[in-house]
Amino acid sequence: MIKSHARIATCVLLGVAALPLIVPIGAEQFSERAKKIGSQVNCMCGSCSMTAANCSHPGGEFSGPCSTAKGMLQEIDQRAAKGETDDQIMQAFVKEFGSTVYAEPPKSGFSLVAWVMPTAYLVLGTLVVIFVISRWLKKNVSEVPASNASVKAVSPEFLERARKLAEQETEE
Amino acid sequence: MDVFGSFALLLAFVCAVYAFAGGIAAIITRHPLLVKSTRQAGMATCGLIFLATFCLEYLFFTDNFSVAYVVEHSNRDLSSLYKVTALWSGMEGSLLFWSFLLAIYVISVLITYRNKNGELMPYVGVVMAGVQVFFLTLNNFVESPFKVLAAPGAGGVMSFITRADGNGLNALLQYPEMAIHPPNLYSGYTGFTIPFAFALGALLARYPGEKWIHLTRKWTMIAWMFQSCGILLGAHWAYAVLGWGGYWGWDPVENASLLPWLTGTAFLHSVMMQEKRGMMKVWNVWLVFTTFLLCIMGTFLTRSGVVSSVHAFAQSNIGSWFVAFMGITLAVCLGAYLKNRDYLATENQLDSMISRESSFLFNNLLFLVACIAVLSGTLFPVFSEWFTGNRISVGAPYFNRVNIPIGLLILFLTGVGPLLAWRKTSTESLKKNFGWPLMIGAAAGGLAFVFGFREFFSVICLTLCVFVAATILLEFYRGAKVIRARSGASYPACAIDLTMRNTRRYGGYIIHMGMVFVFIGLAGAAFNRDVQKSMQVGQSLQIGPYTLMLQGADTKPEQNYTAQRMLVEALRDNKPVMMLFPEKRRFAGNNQENGTMVAIYSTWKEDLYVVFAGMDPETREPVIHAFLNPLVKWIWFGGVVVVFGTIVALLPNRRSVLVLAPTQQPAAAQPLPHAVPSSVALREGHD
Repeated sequence: MIKSHARIATCVLLGVAALPLIVPIGAEQFSERAKKIGSQVNCMCGSCSMTAANCSHPGGEFSGPCSTAKGMLQEIDQRAAKGETDDQIMQAFVKEFGSTVYAEPPKSGFSLVAWVMPTAYLVLGTLVVIFVISRWLKKNVSEVPASNASVKAVSPEFLERARKLAEQETEE
Repeated sequence: MDVFGSFALLLAFVCAVYAFAGGIAAIITRHPLLVKSTRQAGMATCGLIFLATFCLEYLFFTDNFSVAYVVEHSNRDLSSLYKVTALWSGMEGSLLFWSFLLAIYVISVLITYRNKNGELMPYVGVVMAGVQVFFLTLNNFVESPFKVLAAPGAGGVMSFITRADGNGLNALLQYPEMAIHPPNLYSGYTGFTIPFAFALGALLARYPGEKWIHLTRKWTMIAWMFQSCGILLGAHWAYAVLGWGGYWGWDPVENASLLPWLTGTAFLHSVMMQEKRGMMKVWNVWLVFTTFLLCIMGTFLTRSGVVSSVHAFAQSNIGSWFVAFMGITLAVCLGAYLKNRDYLATENQLDSMISRESSFLFNNLLFLVACIAVLSGTLFPVFSEWFTGNRISVGAPYFNRVNIPIGLLILFLTGVGPLLAWRKTSTESLKKNFGWPLMIGAAAGGLAFVFGFREFFSVICLTLCVFVAATILLEFYRGAKVIRARSGASYPACAIDLTMRNTRRYGGYIIHMGMVFVFIGLAGAAFNRDVQKSMQVGQSLQIGPYTLMLQGADTKPEQNYTAQRMLVEALRDNKPVMMLFPEKRRFAGNNQENGTMVAIYSTWKEDLYVVFAGMDPETREPVIHAFLNPLVKWIWFGGVVVVFGTIVALLPNRRSVLVLAPTQQPAAAQPLPHAVPSSVALREGHD
């Protein structure tokens, strides 16, 4: 009993002693707008690679927005209170930090390439696939006359059986 | 021991060079003794790499703080498990670990085919040895893990020094999943070397037929399974350790692990075209080459620091080595292809646009598009800097926007593709196979909409998941029904019997089902929510149906860290559900790093994810960050199903007895397709 009391006391003491180890950065509530714009800008602390709204600063002493992310979210709220639009707030960040602040590339200038590329790959790829398939189909059609003679010699029942057997044998 | 390890690595390098150069000579001269000796040199290389790895582990376990790598990544209080994992926690060790895993694959191949495929194996051996030479060059001359600490002593003479304790292992890596996530991922990366070696070897040797495909199928599947496991374990690690409530952040290193997985998955599908129809030979060879190159690129992105990443614990300036190796590999592949491309002549022809072949082509297209989109997005900051001078970052919102539609198209094909017939699919067959699943899927989507789900992509995703699951279950049902008609066994027993008769086909379906579960989990992300609050003991916060009450706090001293722990009671409808213990950890060692331990109450419906973020600066109260993440458990469950399916697909088929057993009518008199209900019986026994 004495032992368990001593253990609890040690834990409490250690708990109190460990409190200053945690660097205090608070849990401030930010507006929904700050969270929305904050998810479009990177946390610029340089070590977490997360957006300001989602910054949990892995490995940091506080698992929440680090001081940089918190400052950015505060700035969004302050600018919003002044009546600035989302775009103006974004531009203010770009002016302050450069284009690395964007969490996703803007849809203008060279960054537009990033948005166009995936669609271009998909469209181009689809065209190539359709072209390849139609070529394979044509090849098949062009080969039919050559085999007509042998086809005539085979009964339709046999052909049907052979086709089904082939289908089943090649079934994956 | 450090000298011994260093010497073993050097000797391994010499043996690998001999296996490579001697192998080329053996191919040219075809001298049997030379062939044998190079094969044995390959085995010796592997043995020596094992020895060097053992030496480094020994240095960790004996707290040898005269070795720089041990000082940087360990400390006296570090537990035994993490002394093992410290091996791959930094640059030098993880490169040695790459060589170690590759050596396991290489020695397995050399032993498995020691008396087989005599024409092909010398080529394969040379390619494998070539890859080993590259990594052993890095291990020996660029990033040696056996460097010892030295400092200038009296008179400026350098002398060896030993530290009293080490800096400790990175706090983020002190988590059980770190013991299995990197080995899985690395096993995937290194494993793709084997199909690459066979593909390049077969092309160089002009090895006849599709045998190299058959030989490498299981190696590809093993590598793919490890890669899948590694990716999912990494996602789970990010979820449980980083404390941000998510599991996939599109970090460059995460993307790098996804790239070879995407092309590897495309290969596992398109390879069937070559096996069954002799089609797409060029495409398959290049898919294997690309997958291997992407594995090297993945390692390059992780190691070089060319793009900023959360995985910053293993970076240095060895990027140029990897670029050179990728350049040489690409040149060799291109040269081999140009020289022997006539060997890859195919007999491509189709009967219909709606066929299995077409679905494979579209499947490959989508995987490739996803791969290129992720790759170009990952490298876009570098490109933008080259072209404009400004580095434009590309983060998670971009990747989500681009990849969600592609992922949904792939999911759609997962349901459609396997049920289309080779060459041509009739309209009746389409109706028979897709009628019910389409209706069930549409009904599920409609229900989701009625019940208030308004996120467009999530509703589409859930609709497709139900559709695909229905097609798969229908296939199992049809097959089991045929067997049941003969054996009278229960449906589950018949489904197992069916699976074991054609493990590849039904194992594949199980993998698809696993992917459906993963997609169900991903669909839930659209409905995530979170609350953060400073709390005093006795106070509570509300998130969804849960009330979280802070019941107390304590401090728990452990071997290598001190944990400050919050005692949070989760209540639902005022009834206690679970006591949660989110922690902040302060680790021992010179660096005194911090870590987070998230507390999760996981159900099939949602995860209650609770983080103790730290102390509020003003109030000095603990800050609790709670997330409610729907359906996340389905992702991990899906991963388990995928691995199970892959293992099933790797098993040999059980010989079908039922199909061959005499029925009441003589076999010869039996009309082939009519007497066999549905399409299942004659499929048995085939791949």
